[in-house]
Amino acid sequence: MNCISPESKPDWKAYVLRELGQDAHRQAEAHLATCSICHEEVATLRLTLDTLSMLREEEMPRRIAFVSDKVFEPRWWQRAFSPTFAAGVLVAAAILVHGAMRPSEIPQAQVDAAVDKAVSQVEARHMQEVRAMYEQLEVRDKQVANMYSNAVLIR
Amino acid sequence: MIFREVEDPDLIAKARRGDVEAYNLLISRWEKRVYNYLLRLVSNREDAMDVSQEVFLKAYQSLPKLDDPARFSGWLFRIAHNEAFSLLRRKRPETELAGEPRPDNLNPRLLPMELSLAVETALGRLSADQREAVLLKVYQGFKFEEMADILECPVSTVKSRLYTALDLLKATLAPMHKAALRGES
Repeated sequence: MNCISPESKPDWKAYVLRELGQDAHRQAEAHLATCSICHEEVATLRLTLDTLSMLREEEMPRRIAFVSDKVFEPRWWQRAFSPTFAAGVLVAAAILVHGAMRPSEIPQAQVDAAVDKAVSQVEARHMQEVRAMYEQLEVRDKQVANMYSNAVLIR
Repeated sequence: MIFREVEDPDLIAKARRGDVEAYNLLISRWEKRVYNYLLRLVSNREDAMDVSQEVFLKAYQSLPKLDDPARFSGWLFRIAHNEAFSLLRRKRPETELAGEPRPDNLNPRLLPMELSLAVETALGRLSADQREAVLLKVYQGFKFEEMADILECPVSTVKSRLYTALDLLKATLAPMHKAALRGES
């Protein structure tokens, strides 16, 4: 079978350049299997592409490389927008704010007086507890003595 | 531990932060392709080398403007295209003079090794637009849409330039390739 009208011919250049969609590619292949004119056209196109592939890639006369230089370094505002730099700035700001909000130094004498007061309060509370314990023990001793005397009377 | 190759977007991210070594590695991956593309466009090794350097310098300076690092290759070739055509416009009279004394007919009995020169000559006969369409499609493997982005023109224009170029090349090269194949057998 050969092509009847040019309009019905697939886009063979797109076909050999792998630019057809899947469906169009399948239809083109089906057509190619039955049409000797199109078969010849595709063969010539492939031959042309094969010949083009014979062009040798040239080596470069010299390699390209850049060295670190002020010209290439990011500007201060570019650095300011980098995540690492921004995080560093935040931490530094937090330390400064914390330092600024701390209360000023307290005199040593005032500290000593406060400590003495706290210690004497604890000692006083402790003495009260010891006294209360003695009183309870005395009451208990009396109760035990009473119990013994009552027991002797019953015998 | 998982190993993976350092890909272009990784290098682009580092280069954007000012890492020149990362950018040099990126250059080493692309410089030969860019140089050969430019060489076929400007037809002069020194010019191709100078323009290649200019392309990579401009690309570095413009990296922050690259929206999608995955489309780096098309973006890089668009810079190369602009630089090459800027040079061609500046040197137009000289280029036109240099382009004229090309032979009308190529020897159809070339050996396969000589076909490379024949292809170079055949490409030289195309207009700059047609040649560039062939370079981007056949040698760099870009899709029609990507070519349209690089050349900043509609896909229909890309196809028109490429198809015309292929018809011209088919007429010039296919008989030679057939003759070379016959010579081999």
